[in-house]
Amino acid sequence: MLDTFEIITTSGVVLWSKTYVPVASSLINNLIREVFVEERGANARAENSGGQKPTYRRDGYTLKWTAAKDLGLIFVAVYQSLLQIRWIDKLLENVRALFTELYRDQITKPNCSAVDCPFDQYFDRQIQELEKLDKDAGPQRGGPTIDVTPPTSDSNDNSADDMPPPPKPVLRTLNSNTSHDTTSTDVTPIPTPDASRPGTPRANHLLTGRPGLGGRGSRRSRKGMVAGNSAPVSSGDETPANASKKGTKGAKKMRKWDANGHADEDDGTTLDYSAPVASSNLSNANVEDSAEQEKWGTRTAKGEYMLKDIGDEMNAILSSANSNAGATNGDAASGLVGSSIGAISGLFRNVVGGKTLTKEDLVKPLKGMEDHLLKKNVAREAAVRLCNSVERDLIGMKTGNFTSIDTTLRTAMEKALRKILTPTSPLDLLREIQSTVRSSTKRRPYVISIVGVNGVGKSTNLSKIAFFLLQNHYRVLIAAGDTFRSGAVEQLRVHVNNLKELTQRQGKGAVDLFEKGYGKDAAHIARDSVEYAAAHAYDVVLIDTAGRRHNDARLMSSLEKFAELAKPDKILMVGEALVGSDAVQQARHFDAAFGVGRRLDGFIVSKCDTVGDMVGTLVSMVHATGIPVLFLGTGQHYGDLRVLRVESVVGLLMQ
Amino acid sequence: MAWYDEDSWLTQAVGPNIWAVIGTILLALTLPIVLHWFIYRSSVLAKTPSFLVLGPSGSGKTALVTKLETGHGSKTHTSQIPLTVQSHLPKSTVPKSWQYRSTADYETKAPKPLLLTDTPGHAKLRHYAYNSLASTTNPPTGILFVVDAADLSSSGTATGGANFALSDTAEYLHDVLLSLQKAYNNAKTSKAKEIPFLVAANKLDLFTALPAVAVKSTLEKDITRIRETRARGLLGVSTIGKGEGLGGNDEEGDDEREVLGGTSEGDFKFATMEEWNVSVEVVGGNAVGEDGPGVEGWWEWIGAQL
Repeated sequence: MLDTFEIITTSGVVLWSKTYVPVASSLINNLIREVFVEERGANARAENSGGQKPTYRRDGYTLKWTAAKDLGLIFVAVYQSLLQIRWIDKLLENVRALFTELYRDQITKPNCSAVDCPFDQYFDRQIQELEKLDKDAGPQRGGPTIDVTPPTSDSNDNSADDMPPPPKPVLRTLNSNTSHDTTSTDVTPIPTPDASRPGTPRANHLLTGRPGLGGRGSRRSRKGMVAGNSAPVSSGDETPANASKKGTKGAKKMRKWDANGHADEDDGTTLDYSAPVASSNLSNANVEDSAEQEKWGTRTAKGEYMLKDIGDEMNAILSSANSNAGATNGDAASGLVGSSIGAISGLFRNVVGGKTLTKEDLVKPLKGMEDHLLKKNVAREAAVRLCNSVERDLIGMKTGNFTSIDTTLRTAMEKALRKILTPTSPLDLLREIQSTVRSSTKRRPYVISIVGVNGVGKSTNLSKIAFFLLQNHYRVLIAAGDTFRSGAVEQLRVHVNNLKELTQRQGKGAVDLFEKGYGKDAAHIARDSVEYAAAHAYDVVLIDTAGRRHNDARLMSSLEKFAELAKPDKILMVGEALVGSDAVQQARHFDAAFGVGRRLDGFIVSKCDTVGDMVGTLVSMVHATGIPVLFLGTGQHYGDLRVLRVESVVGLLMQ
Repeated sequence: MAWYDEDSWLTQAVGPNIWAVIGTILLALTLPIVLHWFIYRSSVLAKTPSFLVLGPSGSGKTALVTKLETGHGSKTHTSQIPLTVQSHLPKSTVPKSWQYRSTADYETKAPKPLLLTDTPGHAKLRHYAYNSLASTTNPPTGILFVVDAADLSSSGTATGGANFALSDTAEYLHDVLLSLQKAYNNAKTSKAKEIPFLVAANKLDLFTALPAVAVKSTLEKDITRIRETRARGLLGVSTIGKGEGLGGNDEEGDDEREVLGGTSEGDFKFATMEEWNVSVEVVGGNAVGEDGPGVEGWWEWIGAQL
């Protein structure tokens, strides 16, 4: 069953939450970080398309969420992945509608983070109704879907543990824990019995009133129905008022689930056994509950009325939300006059701003934006995904004052690009090398290896990095791992000789070539070079590799062994800025080539000076893998190595 | 009738007529008052002091902000957008501008409002923070840089692996200070206002947390290291010409490479930042949790800036 339900603002404040079983808060943090910030959950997004709410799975939990864009709210439901809860989507939907409707004013208040939201009752009610609906839809399937006890009369012992839950969340948690301990059949936390056992839904809540009754078994079933009507909040049952309540049949007629209440006389009897167990808890709960009622401000004399109010209010809100949705849909199809007026006001709004963006508004500008990105050499796949993510961000948003859709879209796209290109963790190669090399405990060389497709400039960029490291007075060993292409070793030797000369002038640092000729296994050469470097006090080992086609499984498979033997600290892939949509595939294949648990650490994008402003390759590669760009090659000289500056690249792309 | 007729509205309005006299007197009396109110009100609104809350992800910025706002704080998760809240100095904290006031002064009874802006700390979302730092329309009165003191302490020097939290924090702090330094250097008017900068060592209620002094020295040490490698690192790519493409112009590169604290030699001390009108202070506290120093120290600091 549901473990936790939280309503979070995008600014990170939890507005309201309900915890049945505590889950680590890092779970939701991870969801936010990976899905919302880093947009890694490509699969989660894909599921979104089927009308289902997106899901995110981690550590045996499933998180489903939905968002209210205009208010900046995220609704997250957490439950164990073992369970299948069919009504979760509906719950998210309804809670979103209710919450946004009820607390819109408070949420939109500027300069304020706290929202005073007594939402518990609405939520409990929603859950009950959805469970009931679910059960009604498939009473037979109640068992399989919700993964619980067989819906038979053996519920005696279950109910002893399960039934007492009073509406207070605290107690539910408590009870659910005991149920976990005692009955192995009933895996799910509290509300389970509702769904599992046809006819008990209200029985759950008559519990609230039960302790006050003591053990008067004879009237129990009738009592049960009445108390059931008054549902979660009717804690007042405990008070003398219950006598009068029994008489109030009027309220009961309003309940459409009357029949169910009647159905479970037996359950009512069994339930009673549980009551004494939890009575102490319950009395507390009742006190708190009634306090809450008072705060709530509705009438407390007869619990039923108040409840009915909530139910009605809730339904009214939901139906109005639905009809609103219907209305907006209908608008598009309305008559000629309506549509033309709409079009004119739409145009006007487009100029003045303050327009709520819909999918239709965005189709054309997004197409334009996509074309623009394609012209900048962004791979189609990346461009489409970027546009989709921007679209998702923008739908339901209001444009600012005096900003057109295009401008809004542009800013959103800039933001998206910046977000993609900015690395998640700081990239300071020198610092890492320093902390490795100068570590007091175990001295070892820092190993960097370079992979890539043929002819993208692996050796050239390797020697540029070597030059950069030499400038910083490190002792560098270059390993010639390309044992395949003729001339590869000689090419590196030329570089090494050049660099040697430079270092001699400088007087610090050293560079040497480690080579074993052609035809040997590159992985072993790499390992030997690392050992050699460790023995001869080199600081950094740079391993060159043979170029390989990324879609050739035979060539790529040797990379896994290579990563295993050489254990590089950094594996960098060189990709040229000239490549078009193939960049995505290259990046993906190389990223996946090093086996489980080892990924690429960064990209070097070479030949950036040759493409002018068409630097889309950068975006394609980062977007495909989420791996940052470490260096850019910008010329023919050793010094022409640069680090990425996000601002300038975004500027170029958005021109 | 023409405007110069005797009973035209214009003549009536300026004529020796009792209503005209009353109207004129009223106007003469109320106009200054209205003007005063208008100007006074607007200037007060503009001057609500605003504090910017920065720091890496997970250091407790949002928790701190909500704590300062409501007094009890709320559960928080990773932020995606900035959040601005209005808060009031607690009664116990006396703003600096009131230090010579009598405690019986009526004004001390009215809580002083201030704005706190929380920024997302995730590396991909720090541009919000840098933008508000560089904002010229509403420059922050002070900056709170929240660090997780409990995370810094597990410094992984012994294992050889760098402590990620520490390097991330130090890097962010370095970049923020550097951008402040650049802003000062590029300022047109030489007399830039001093920017108070508080490094708030959060989570001091935890057992593993470093005390504020240790936080200060750890960060200084790490920033020294960052400054060193930054000075020797590669240049950022720049756009050639009018956005023709990417390239590296070394001539242009030199002046953009500015080292925090002017030089990469020697150890970095927060005190050196005073040269750039940034006064850094490190104060410990905890935004959540019962024991520990709480937020008192931070309120004191905020009060001292008002």
